[in-house]
Order: sequence, then structure tokens, then C-alpha cells
Amino acid sequence: MSAPVVETHSLAKTYGLAPVLRDVDLRLLPGAGAFIVGGNGAGKSTLLRILAGLEAPSGGHALVFGQDTRKLAARYRRRIGMMAHQSFLYPNLTARENLEFFGELYSLADPQASADQWLGRVGLAEVADARVRTFSRGMEQRLSAARAMLADPALLLLDEPFASLDHDGAEIVATLIRGAVERGASVLATAHEVPEIDGVEFAVFEISRGLLTQRAYKEEVRRGGRIRSLLGR
Amino acid sequence: MSGFAAVLRKDLRLELRSGESTLALLALSMLVLVVLVFALDAARVRSVDAAAGALWVAMVFAGMLGANRALLAERDNGAMRGLLLSPLDPATLYAAKFAVALIFMAVAEVGAVILMVLFFNLEFDASIARLAPILALGALGFSALATLLSAITGRTRGGDMLLPILAVPIFVPALIAGVKASAAALAGAQLASMGDWLKIMIAFDVLFVTAGYLLFEHVVGED
Amino acid sequence: MNSSAIRNWLGYSTLALMLAALFMVFDYVPPEAEQGIAQLIFYFHVPLAWVAFASFGLVAIAGIFYLWLGDQLWDDLGYAAAETGMVFCTLMIVAGSIWAKPIWGTWWTWDSRLTTTFILWLMYGGYLMLRASADDTPQVARFAAVLGIVAVLDVPIVIASVRLWRTIHPAVLVTKQGGHGLEDPRMVATLLVCLAAFTALWAWLLMLRFTQLRTRSRMSALAVRIAFATAAASDKQVMELG
Repeated sequence: MSAPVVETHSLAKTYGLAPVLRDVDLRLLPGAGAFIVGGNGAGKSTLLRILAGLEAPSGGHALVFGQDTRKLAARYRRRIGMMAHQSFLYPNLTARENLEFFGELYSLADPQASADQWLGRVGLAEVADARVRTFSRGMEQRLSAARAMLADPALLLLDEPFASLDHDGAEIVATLIRGAVERGASVLATAHEVPEIDGVEFAVFEISRGLLTQRAYKEEVRRGGRIRSLLGR
Repeated sequence: MSGFAAVLRKDLRLELRSGESTLALLALSMLVLVVLVFALDAARVRSVDAAAGALWVAMVFAGMLGANRALLAERDNGAMRGLLLSPLDPATLYAAKFAVALIFMAVAEVGAVILMVLFFNLEFDASIARLAPILALGALGFSALATLLSAITGRTRGGDMLLPILAVPIFVPALIAGVKASAAALAGAQLASMGDWLKIMIAFDVLFVTAGYLLFEHVVGED
Repeated sequence: MNSSAIRNWLGYSTLALMLAALFMVFDYVPPEAEQGIAQLIFYFHVPLAWVAFASFGLVAIAGIFYLWLGDQLWDDLGYAAAETGMVFCTLMIVAGSIWAKPIWGTWWTWDSRLTTTFILWLMYGGYLMLRASADDTPQVARFAAVLGIVAVLDVPIVIASVRLWRTIHPAVLVTKQGGHGLEDPRMVATLLVCLAAFTALWAWLLMLRFTQLRTRSRMSALAVRIAFATAAASDKQVMELG
């Protein structure tokens, strides 16, 4: 059994006096995919931010690639791709310039070529040289997906990746996720409801009142295993 | 250091595209000088002390604006989080933002010097050339300090008001040295005679560039 | 020794030392020939300056430990040191003004020591404004730590530059204070007692404030634990109902 890509032990997080996460135990093995569903304010985004190393836990531990998320070295951060509610994109740069910039940050061998390739994959090749400030929310979300996956990350942390997308956009992002999983990436995503992605099996967890409460939450998640879906309870 | 070059290039590209910050900095420098011309009634008297003082006041204000602007680009769309998430080292990010702030301040300084000569009835001669290293040392130190501090003040409620409150007292030694050396230079003195002042400015610069480089990681994180 | 015992001990020592200091200043030490009675403020001025600068140093040291160890205790210590130091720094500036008036007829003079202390006062003010303008989060504590460290590193440069400034343009009114002009051994003794008295007073106030902040931090931590426990308790209810 290989080491988990993501692991948390009794993870807790408070904002001021309010506990947002309490006692979250999670394990994700390499190549596995999981969706975490929950309502607004349930703590999904907080969990992903902690795993990305953007916030520190108030209690417990979070480990990514076996490393404490509070002290992630650059070589591990390079292998993480994240999508969040904010796109992390620069409105006054063009789509291409944004991707090239992130390509350089992630030390890609040929940032220009990668940018072109990904613009094609997310269906933004035609607006490659338009500034991101002119984009619709859906277009920005697609570009954000490209930015997240540009460096072929081993771990994808996706916070509501299908939000603001129309049917075509959702198809594109689903295809990208499928492609990443096929390449062996691990995916941990959040959503309000479980989406359908053909050809990929995801485990589903529910987060509510700061706890991961799904029946299967203490079980390891294997790629290709049966999913225990939360819906239809 | 490809991260440094990437961030620097990105910020310069953004600025060249909009020109917003450069314009604001030059306008601020000019307006500060105008206020001081009238406040000090410098139109009548040819005073290198007043000129040097006014120049440095303009520079300090422009420097604060410049440092703020250097970090501003990362406020849209949570871009700073994107940078923190990336393999980019916070110290390298500091170096890039410091460089941007420095460039902004240098541009403002050039404008301010030209305006100073015009408003205070000075000459464009060798004394102006001798100003260059003094202003460079001042810009280095102030940009280093202001970049570090504006990462703090940008995210507290006091915000814009707080940056001068924090930066100015800390900058005082370099300010004293800079004004004295500038006034001496404008009066015709050679750089060798200002050794003590220059040493103070160099010490300040070394201290704050180092401190900024080492401490920046503590001020950019979340929570 | 628990903290309230320390506080009491400091309190009584302060009282004793202060009484001794007051006696020595007003009854024991001979006044200086040139400046007369007004010179006596020197015996308060110097200790106040020492304490103001020392407190600032403590702010920085606490900041370093906070960034290194992350324990809220260091942040509380730094904040307490900043507040206490501010009090003494303000007193020192006021004392400086009280001195200036009878000696030179002006309310303020930019001599090198007063100038440096005034800059210090501004730095303290900045630190306190930073803390006041933001919530009490670990992030703000880190900001304050960095600010404290940066400001303290600056102090030697401030001292050097202000001294150089005053050498080239000496103030119209030159002060003659400092350890150098004390001819009479009674003056030295008085100064030492005053130093001890003000240091004790500072330590006592610092302890008081620090204890307050510690209590507040502990209460916050406790409130968080209660929140967790409450949520856990109502989990059972939710599960039973749902």
C-alpha cells in the first residue's frame, strides 16, 4: 500500500471562536479521487486551503505528500494544482500571458507551448490574446482550470470546479479532470452536489458542522473501487 | 531565480499597459513640490536647503505610493494566494516586489528632481549629477522598508493611513542623512565630504534589504 | 513562585525604591551648580529613557520568539512591553519638556537625546496603532512581531544619525547631561537608586499588564474549547433527531 497523498488527523480550524472544522480525518491514496459535498460555510473551502498550505490548522495535522502543510517545500508545492472561488488570474493580462506567467512560476520547460496547448484544451484559443477582465465568469473559470492543471500536478485541489459553468464548460472541466485522473493524479474536489463524470469513479464524503460525517469516511479510497454515494440516503 | 524575473516582468508589463501608477506617482511628486513651494515661499529665495527638503518629502510620499502599488496587483482575484500556492519562495517574491517599488520610486525621483530644479530656481549642472547616488541610496532603503511594511498595512483596517505612520519614524535616519547630503551636493560639495551621511544611508539600506528578505514570509501568509 | 507572588514582590520593591529615590532626589543630593533645582529632573529623565528603550528591546525579543516558537505567550509579552514602554516613553518626553522650559525658556528642544526618544515614541505609537486597527489574530501578532523587530534594528541607526545631525548643527541650547558631569558621589548614588526604582516600577507594570493579556488569551482558548464541546454535544442531538 503506497503512502497517502493527502492525510489529515483530527484536523481542526477555528475562525475567532467559531469552529469551522473539527476532528476531520481524511486519507486519499495516489490516483484516487474524492468529492466532498456540503452546504455553504460547511468548511469545504477551508479544508482545501489548509491542504494547499495557504492556512494553518488550529489543531491536528494535515499532510500532503507526507509533508506538513504548514511547511511545504517548493518542490511539493509544484505538484499541487488548485482551483478556488477566486481565479488567481490577473485581469489586465491576456489569457495567454496569464498561463505563460504561471508556467514560468512552475518551471515548465516551454511555458509558451504549454499555454497554447491548454488554451486549446479549455476552448479559449480564440480569445487567447484578450484580457481576462473581458471574460465572462465561465470563461475565467475555465482559464482557472487550465492554470491549475498546467504543470501536470500530482494532486488537484478543486473548490467547486463546476460553479458558474454552463453545460459546455462543465464538459470541458470534467474532461480535464478525467484526463488528470488517467495520468495518475489524485483529485480532491468540493461541490454542493455530486456531479456525474463519465468514466471516473469518485468516493463521496459529506462535510457538515465541521465534521466529515459520511459513513465511509474512515475507509481508504481506492481507485476503481465501488463508490458509496451519499445521495439517496 | 526564474520566479523573480517572471514576477518582475509581469508587474512591469501590467504597469506599461495601464501607466496608472506611474502617472499617479509623478502627479503626487509634483503636487507635493507645489505645496512646498508655496509653504516655504521658495519662489523668492534660492535655497538649496529648502530644495533638498522638498525633494525628499516628495520622494517619501511617492515611495509609499509606489510600494503600495507594487503589491496592489496581487489583490485582484486573490492573485496573492496563487503566488503563495506556487513554488515561488516568499523571499524571492519580496525581491521582485522590492524591485518594482524601486523602479517606481526611481521614476518619481527623476521627475521630482527636474521639477525641483525648475521650482526652486536651481541649475541643471554637476550638482544634480552628484545627487544621483544619494537619491539612489535613499530609494533603495525606502523601497525595501515600504515593501515590507505595505504587506502589513495593506491587510489591516488602518490601511493607507497606517503606512506613513509606520514608515516615517523608521525612515528618519536615512531621511536626515539624505536631506543633509542632498543639500550639501546642491551647494557644491563633493561626495567625499559627505562620507558620514552616506555611511548611514548604506547601513540603513543593508539592514532593511536584509530584514525585508528574511521577514517577508511572515507577513504574506494567510491567517 | 507563582505570578501573583512575583507581582506582589515587585510591587513592594517598587514602593520601597521609589520612596528611597524621592528622598534622595529631594533631600539628599546636592543640586547642580549651574542649573539649580530644575536639574533634578535629570534623575528621572535618565531612568525613564533607559526603561523606554529597554522595553522596546523586549518588544523585539518577544517578537523574535513569537515568530520562532508561535506560542501566544510571546505575543502577549511583546504587547505588554509595548504598552508599558509607551507609558514611560511619554513620561520621558513630558519630563524633557518640563526641563526645557525653566532652563531655556522653550517647551521643546531638538537635542539628540530628546529627538531620539521622540522617534522611539513615534515607533511605539505605530506599533500600538497597528494592533488597535486590526483584530486579534495570529496573523496580526506576526505583523506586530515583524514591526517590532524592524523598528528595534533601526534604533542604533537613528541614534547615530541624530547625533551626527546635532553635531553639525548643534542645538542653540546645548544640554550637558549624561553620566559624565556627575562630580559628587552622592549624585551617582542617587542616579543608581532612581534607575533601580524606575526599573522596578516598569517591571511591576509590565507584569500586571502581561498577566492581564495572558488571562485574556487563556480565556479565548477556553472559549474555543467550549465551542468545540458544545458542537460535539449537539451532534448527538442532531443525530437522534435526524
